[in-house]
Amino acid sequence: MAAVSLSKSERAYIQSSLKAHPPLRADGRGLLDFRTVLLETGVAPLANGSARLNIGKMAREGGGGTEVVAAVKLEVEDVETGDGVDGGRVVCSVTCSPAAYSHLSSNALDELQHDLSVILQQTIAHPTLHPTLHPKNLTIIPRKKAWLLNLDAVVLADAGNVVDALFMAARAALWDAKVPRTRAVQYRAPETLKSPRNDAPGAMDVDEGTSGFDTRDMARTAADFELPDYWDEGEVLDGRDKWPICVTLNLLPSVHLLDATLAEEASIPLRLHLMFSFAPSAPPILQSMRLLGPAELELKDLKDSIAVGERYAKELFTALESKLREEDNRRNIKARDRFALMR
Amino acid sequence: MVEITVRKRPRTEAVVTQRKFFKKTARGKVIKVLRERYLRDDVSCGIHSCQVCASEQESVLPSSGLLEHPSFPNGHFLLPDTNVFLSQMDLMESPLFDPPIVLLQTVLEEVRHRSLPLYNRLKALVKADEKKVWVFYNEYRSETAVIREDGESPNDRNDRGIRKATAWYKSHLELSRPAIRGQSRPPQPAVVLLTDDVANRQKAEKEGLPCVSVRKYIEGYKNSSQLLDLLSASGSDTIEPTAAMAIRQALYPEYLPTATLLAGVKSGQLHQGHFNANQYNYLEGSVLVPAFDKPVLLAGRENMNRAVQGDIVAVEVFDEKEWKAPADEVVDQEATLKNDDAEDSEDEGEDDEVLAERKVLNAEAAKQAASSKQPTGRVVGIIKRNWRSYVCHIDSTSLTSTNPTSLSQQTVFATPVSRLLPRIRLRTRQAPALIGQKILVTIDRWERTSRYPEGHFVRALGKVQSKEAEQESLLLEFDVPYRPFGKAILDCLPPEGDKWVVPPKSSTHSDWRDREDLRDLIICSIDPPGCQDIDDALHARRLPNGNVEAGVHIADVSHFVHPDTPMDHEAAARGTTVYLVDKRIDMLPALLGTNLCSLRPHVERLAFSVIWELSPEAEIVNVRFTKSVIASKSAFTYEEAQIRKDDPKLSDELTESIRLLNDLARKLKAGRMAAGALNLASPEVKIQLDSSESSDPVDVEQKELRETNSLVEEFMLLANISVARKIQETFPQTAVLRRHLPPPRTNFEKLQDILKKRKGMTLDVSSSGALAASLDKCVDPNEPAFNTLVRIMATRCMLSAEYFCSGSVARDTFGHYGLASPIYTHFTSPIRRYADVLAHRQLAASIGYSPLHASLHSKSHVERVLEVVNKRHRMAQMASRASIEFYVGLALKARSEKGTVLEDAFVIRTFRNGLGVFVSRLGIEGLVTFKREIQFDADNYTITAPAEDHDVTISVFDKVQVTVEVEQDKNTQRGRVVMYLSKPIDSRRL
Repeated sequence: MAAVSLSKSERAYIQSSLKAHPPLRADGRGLLDFRTVLLETGVAPLANGSARLNIGKMAREGGGGTEVVAAVKLEVEDVETGDGVDGGRVVCSVTCSPAAYSHLSSNALDELQHDLSVILQQTIAHPTLHPTLHPKNLTIIPRKKAWLLNLDAVVLADAGNVVDALFMAARAALWDAKVPRTRAVQYRAPETLKSPRNDAPGAMDVDEGTSGFDTRDMARTAADFELPDYWDEGEVLDGRDKWPICVTLNLLPSVHLLDATLAEEASIPLRLHLMFSFAPSAPPILQSMRLLGPAELELKDLKDSIAVGERYAKELFTALESKLREEDNRRNIKARDRFALMR
Repeated sequence: MVEITVRKRPRTEAVVTQRKFFKKTARGKVIKVLRERYLRDDVSCGIHSCQVCASEQESVLPSSGLLEHPSFPNGHFLLPDTNVFLSQMDLMESPLFDPPIVLLQTVLEEVRHRSLPLYNRLKALVKADEKKVWVFYNEYRSETAVIREDGESPNDRNDRGIRKATAWYKSHLELSRPAIRGQSRPPQPAVVLLTDDVANRQKAEKEGLPCVSVRKYIEGYKNSSQLLDLLSASGSDTIEPTAAMAIRQALYPEYLPTATLLAGVKSGQLHQGHFNANQYNYLEGSVLVPAFDKPVLLAGRENMNRAVQGDIVAVEVFDEKEWKAPADEVVDQEATLKNDDAEDSEDEGEDDEVLAERKVLNAEAAKQAASSKQPTGRVVGIIKRNWRSYVCHIDSTSLTSTNPTSLSQQTVFATPVSRLLPRIRLRTRQAPALIGQKILVTIDRWERTSRYPEGHFVRALGKVQSKEAEQESLLLEFDVPYRPFGKAILDCLPPEGDKWVVPPKSSTHSDWRDREDLRDLIICSIDPPGCQDIDDALHARRLPNGNVEAGVHIADVSHFVHPDTPMDHEAAARGTTVYLVDKRIDMLPALLGTNLCSLRPHVERLAFSVIWELSPEAEIVNVRFTKSVIASKSAFTYEEAQIRKDDPKLSDELTESIRLLNDLARKLKAGRMAAGALNLASPEVKIQLDSSESSDPVDVEQKELRETNSLVEEFMLLANISVARKIQETFPQTAVLRRHLPPPRTNFEKLQDILKKRKGMTLDVSSSGALAASLDKCVDPNEPAFNTLVRIMATRCMLSAEYFCSGSVARDTFGHYGLASPIYTHFTSPIRRYADVLAHRQLAASIGYSPLHASLHSKSHVERVLEVVNKRHRMAQMASRASIEFYVGLALKARSEKGTVLEDAFVIRTFRNGLGVFVSRLGIEGLVTFKREIQFDADNYTITAPAEDHDVTISVFDKVQVTVEVEQDKNTQRGRVVMYLSKPIDSRRL
């Protein structure tokens, strides 16, 4: 994506080494090896969920690699005034730090940001293409109030494979996201005004449903909501298992490689982004797919690529999943235990 | 190489150091708030000579704690839980209660979160000299900080924090008093957790921490009998459950939860407003809500549902077909519920009282005047209680009759002095001693199962009818701050004290900077007799060009009272000087008010002058404002000035000046009246005191109005209007102004109807000018006082004037209805009104004399200050009226001892069973009630009563004669004015 100027001979050199037996990569990896992926969640305390992800950090030098920070921020929207959408909505935006792309003009940077935003938005938050991904607990009061979920990602550094990094960071932030618990409050006029003394608490009540999960009982008259527990971060965002991840196949006819560096990306004619969602106890779903580059791809080859892509994606997914659970654990239980030990 | 360390805290500590919470804003957004906290280990325990915490600060807790409590022989410190402060604040504030207290930060914050007024009282308590309170910042000490567990409620977390701090204190005391080898361990004072929360107590006991309930603790305390009375009712429940509460029948509907109320109000299905009790009928109240022109009527106990005067309530309005008219009967609580027993009034059978009440209500329901129906509803919840301490009397009949002098605890009724409040039930051990005393009582709660609110005794004010007690009760009742000025405030006065003088004129002295020297002008002041705080003086002289120069000189209070000083804060909190008949409660220390600022004659004083050039027709040619130095030539009373003006023999400069002023004032007034200003009236009487020492009232007389009164008034109005224009121009966002909104037309409906039906007169209320004109036509040639009466009644229909901040309301609502001026402020009495001080500061800034203090640039600050001032102003008026009423009562009593007092009175209202009358000579309203049935025509405002030979019809505006007596209520010892009709018929026989 980020065009690094590379001379023809350099490009030929990289291509031929990738095709050699055994294939050779500049950093000594195998074709299907990822660089080290580092992940930390909860990096932005004021966000409702956040993650920082790095691919390919140099262990010794403490720098380098592709770095993406993603954060989820929730906002209350009024449905009646037309600002919000009943059931909530998700808006994604990607910003690229100019420091990461110092060689790009500001127009080119804008285009890049837009491209990345569109990929993210269309894959995870398209209301008609991917309705299954839409979290169900973004409703506060049906037809009145809903959450707007802002997913913002910043690319701080690009050392290749930025789309994979972006999707992993987005998934981690969404996994980490918590929706504040709300309770709808409503007022229902008593049915019999004739007997003002006969108003057992049944005549009016507060809806005790915790949130949008159970919308059946919610009366139309619910006018407002309250936060029952202002210290509570809230419940996890619905559908945290379904958020897709992306795996990019860099296709150099006859071979393909994963997690390409910038130089490799520049020398490879065709890239295939595959976004898979692995919901538990359901077959994997290919959420979206992009093919980039000047070269051509036969349909048969495409099918094969998707099949292998699914396998790689599953591996990546499993690794990410276990890391996310570990992060959860680290930030809550372990931290409390450590605090207890400290004293 | 230099080693650089990063002092940023690692994120791994976040769970300890960061506190995150959500907040819902008023606009419905949800905000996440993040607070950092830094834990330290040098937060001091506050115990004197503690070896472990070497603290620079002054430790307030004695090292051995309090030794006198029998339960804790080794001494102890008290560590109260939040609920203690929430429900037992009166106890904590009592001067008799002074154990060393450790106040945790957790508790402090929880109190603030729950109730701001209580938090303010708590803060004052911490600062009080006679209390030993140490605030321990437990959330910031590493050993006592707690973090919330999963699924723990904030309440549980706080309780855990409190227990943790208690445990820490215990171990800390052990650490600081180590056992010395070979000696027995020194006695260890205990840190006792004081809480009324049973669950918390149980947990603390499990952890081995000493804990005790408030009641138990107080029982062992010295002075326990007095302190036990201060316990609020809610505290006593857990200890001695009375007759099973649950079985008792609920008398009132339950309140809706707060969130539901707010939702209902928001969606427009419920209405929010202040509850106003009806002073004639204790079974009725009303709530003025924005949705309806007329207030919402609440009839009957269930519909009023435990609302107390002043509470902000949420009401539900019934269907229109169920709307009622307010009752036209006088229902007196004492008369109807005479036999109610305080001890067992919970047992709500169909006893007599209930039946009596029901009868009253049914009687009302039976007849419904077709007109005058108004929205009717019921209270479904309380948004905010505005309970405070009330001045009451003990109802002597509610005492246990078997042993009237017993010192055991008994339940009695306290009847508030204000007719707007229900009786309060309280438990006390001092009941016999309190009979015949004025006492202060606080309401604690009002259960669904109890007909009356429950409260507790705060303190006694003194004997009923003694002037001190009456005066103090009056000040308390109207919430007037009357404590003497503190040292910090007096320190703001000039150090020279009463030796302060205007320094000799020099261009270098700061007092003379930008001041005009007006000492040679012929300036005089005109005030009521005995006036000590003279804040205005006047002058006028002819100019060579035929115009007239007139000047109003106002005491330069802002020269002495600087913004953001203790004196300024106190003045802002007091808002106004309160004038009682025999006492003045000053807004500013007397040194300023009656001496340094007061524009006394023959001394030089600093002033703020408004000087006009007026044409001979009293039109403003030019106006300027300046700080000045003046020397008043004379201080006249209204009477003296009048005599001097009218004396043809005198033609000195001073007299000429008064004549000139008077001439201009007449023209100004004529101009104002032509613009549509109202000439309003309120009953004003003057109490003639025997001498200043005895202050026994001798007689009541009507205030006399002279031409010179109006002279001063006109010029003050002119000054206020000119200043208002100037400051509004300069500070369009924050100018301190005063306005009088035009009254809603519906307010006049009743009066218009009465006038039309009784006198055939019409009242045009379309504008203030039209109203003024039609009021002028309301004249009864046979009855000169009739016009005044109508004016008084019209005044009652209007809204009251208020201060406001010019940026807070729309420009077209600035107008002053009564004065028919488009803009107005108060500038002329800075000694006794705080708003004037603000106007002075703004005017000084607008003429470039001094920069404006930052707080006066802030709209929200000005709004806040003016809200207080408005409230104080209202209260001060009511207090002085009540004070006059009290003295009128005393004077009447003195007079009626000599013989029957017969007075002329006008009928102003008719009831089903009585008449409301107004005695103009005494300026008081009264009620005449009939015991026998009479005919009542609500639509024509007449009653017809049978006399010996023929029936007599009396209607509104009729002149009658009443016998006025002061009767002491046998139960409450409350002196009250009773009136009987004596002409045309004697009501005592009816």
